[in-house]
Amino acid sequence: MSTGGLAVLVFLSFLVPVPLLAWLDRPRRPGAR
Amino acid sequence: MYVGHFAAALALKARVPRAPTAGLLVGAGLLDLLFAPFVLFGLERATVTPAVSPGFSLDFIDWSHSLLMSVVWSVGFGLLFRRRGAVVATTLGFAVFSHFLLDLVMHPADLALWPGSGVHLGLGLWRLLPTGWWFVELGFVAAAFGYYVVRSRPGTTFGGRPALMAGTLAVLHLVNSPWVPR
Repeated sequence: MSTGGLAVLVFLSFLVPVPLLAWLDRPRRPGAR
Repeated sequence: MYVGHFAAALALKARVPRAPTAGLLVGAGLLDLLFAPFVLFGLERATVTPAVSPGFSLDFIDWSHSLLMSVVWSVGFGLLFRRRGAVVATTLGFAVFSHFLLDLVMHPADLALWPGSGVHLGLGLWRLLPTGWWFVELGFVAAAFGYYVVRSRPGTTFGGRPALMAGTLAVLHLVNSPWVPR
């Protein structure tokens, strides 16, 4: 892997999971299973 | 450190539920989000080292990761959230600085005091424990996530899917393990 590839990988690895983790953090609706 | 930064953000969420989750997650990763463009534009330097843990050498990361710049980025990021109140803004700022504190454990001495400083900090777990660092980070993730789960009782405004969250963190940590070829 090139240094540029490493930089892109680091950037994406810290950005891509954020929406998923934030969504998983949302409170469940009352009564939801 | 990778997933440990996300786990730190979740622990801060559990401590201050009013703080926005996405902001905490981005904040906890901000120094590495800055590192990437800084490398691409030549402000910072790194070398890929497949034979030496953790697979890369961070030769000059003073603008994104030095102690002084970590404080600067933390204060700047916190100020973006000042309208949400001092507690939330401070928490977001600390999310950024938590990155420096956690990297201090893992990195070899590549964290400068300030840009261009000859003094570099880092306990170097990546080098001292070429595979063991992964378990140390796992222990931190478990502790931080455990705190998050304990605080996310029914009725709280966060932590709705702890099992899926744990699974996601586990997958990310496995992908970042020293046994996965890079």
